[in-house]
Amino acid sequence: MIRLFAEYADEAQLVAAAAQLHERGYRKVETYTPYPLPAVDDALGARPSRLPIAVFIAGLVMGGATYWFQWLITHVLYPLDVGNRPTNFPLSFVPITFEMTVLFAAFTAVGAVIVLGRLLRLWDPIFEVDGFESATATRFWLAVDGGDPVFDRDRTTDELTRSGAARVVVQEERA
Amino acid sequence: MTAPEVTDPILVGPPSQGELQRRLLGTPARRGNRGWRIAFAISAALTGLLVTAITYTVATGIGVWGNNIPVGWAFGIINFVWWIGIGHAGTFISAILYLLEQRWRTSINRFAEAMTLFAVVQAGMFPILHLGRPWFGYWLFPYPSIMEVWPQVRSALPWDAAAIFTYLTVSVLFWYLGLVPDLASLRDHAPTRRRRIIYGIFALGWRGSSTAWRHYRAAYLLLAGLATPLVLSVHSLVSSDFAIALVPGWHSTIFPPFFVAGAIFSGFAMVVTLIIPARAVFGLRDVITARHLDNCAKLILVTGLLVAYGYAIEFFIAWYSGDVAEKYQFFVGRPFGPRAGVFWTMMVCNVVVPQLYWSRRVRRSVPILFVTSLLINVGMWCERFVIIVQSLQREFLPTGWGSYTPTWVDLSILAGTMGFFSLLFLIFLRVLPFVAVFEMKELRAELDHDAHRAHTDPEVRP
Repeated sequence: MIRLFAEYADEAQLVAAAAQLHERGYRKVETYTPYPLPAVDDALGARPSRLPIAVFIAGLVMGGATYWFQWLITHVLYPLDVGNRPTNFPLSFVPITFEMTVLFAAFTAVGAVIVLGRLLRLWDPIFEVDGFESATATRFWLAVDGGDPVFDRDRTTDELTRSGAARVVVQEERA
Repeated sequence: MTAPEVTDPILVGPPSQGELQRRLLGTPARRGNRGWRIAFAISAALTGLLVTAITYTVATGIGVWGNNIPVGWAFGIINFVWWIGIGHAGTFISAILYLLEQRWRTSINRFAEAMTLFAVVQAGMFPILHLGRPWFGYWLFPYPSIMEVWPQVRSALPWDAAAIFTYLTVSVLFWYLGLVPDLASLRDHAPTRRRRIIYGIFALGWRGSSTAWRHYRAAYLLLAGLATPLVLSVHSLVSSDFAIALVPGWHSTIFPPFFVAGAIFSGFAMVVTLIIPARAVFGLRDVITARHLDNCAKLILVTGLLVAYGYAIEFFIAWYSGDVAEKYQFFVGRPFGPRAGVFWTMMVCNVVVPQLYWSRRVRRSVPILFVTSLLINVGMWCERFVIIVQSLQREFLPTGWGSYTPTWVDLSILAGTMGFFSLLFLIFLRVLPFVAVFEMKELRAELDHDAHRAHTDPEVRP
């Protein structure tokens, strides 16, 4: 497995390089930046995150389950007569239903970032790339995977160099 | 005089990306100075007092507190409501101002969110202790027990418990998600291997890839959207604990919005109280600028006016209702009854003091801001005292009237929570970057774009 890394000093250069590579048919391109760059998503033709769908479903399901559970315990399992008030009174179930909807939606949002963003890998071969720590400081990195159909070691290196990269680094690993 | 609001920068200088990285991320690595150590020692001592007072309370019973019939709710609930309220400014800044695209929020966002968390931690202790038998605290949760008894979800108290639990959890998640990219940066630039490992674990292997950022931005926006109704719902539900009861002075439909306004009011005052020393000690006056203090002061003024309106309506409705007990409560019991001094302190601190903020000179004066923000927090504590204690002192039947005096245990727990709050805050300042570094870098880049656009395109003005 081989990967080529290019380091840029400027975000505009990175975005331009990403757009160029995408145009030439590269599909396994990833960027690493110190802060979010929505322009990169457009340049790489990435689809918008579908995380909100998961959050919506989780909120809906858990909210519904909470409502049902409240009905169950006050109306069925433990119907307590408080001043002859109805045991099944929807309005009084609203606050906790709302709170649990928010709670589980929030859990899902954070969980989805971890799963979809492929986090929790505390060590990654990418950390061994020389100087890569600047990607969380002030520099902008781009990586082209060797598995890309258009990838050619010499030509891609050349393209990256000409796109204004401060330097290009090769990483080779035994599979 | 020119219009200063337009020209006042959010970032003075502005510092370069590298400088932001070095200085803001460097705060955890700095050795604490003398001021920090003295503050730490005092906070630790007060935390010791808190532990002692809590141990004494739990071991002996809550009879050691001053509350007794007719004042069955006192410091336990006053402090709970006060601390929860303080937390609200943090969520307001991190969620509502984010959705409104207020860029100035960036540099005080994480700071205020940390304040929220630590305030809610203090608040959460009180209801548990107030149970009297805290070891049965788990009875609040619905679980299948052999007694076949379930929590009564038609009452406001379980709503409150659900609201506080959700608020604390969502605040932690929101704060932590915001921290992850900065933790990764700390991992990559840690001076020692030990720190690299510790920060590395908490950074969850964040690499800053465009895929991760794409989902991250979506999640952050959603969390802001989810936290926004929490700002309004938590104190509304807290106020239902009172509004649903019939006690004169409690039974009022204005309570939910009135409580929310008061919460944001006291929260911003606490932000100002904390941020003034922090930015001085860490030399961040160019990142947390006069503009930030000015904006906070304006928000205090607005919410202060809402609170004053709430007071006015309470008095008006008491008179308009024609109810003897209500009228007595508001026109005799509170201003002239037992502990009337607390009522007048509340009026001065919450209604008169914020009016100073109409003056630009006051909003720019750091010492005046600091002192007035403290007064406002005193005022808001007094408000909760007035609502809880003074209402219960004068209920419907004169034969049931009484008065309330706190014991040393009550006062120790209050002082202790303040100590524990500052202890957590001081540790936070030394362990984590208290300004969101990646957001500041993003803001810096955005400001550059704007300046560039304004330069080339005469239609766009910054």
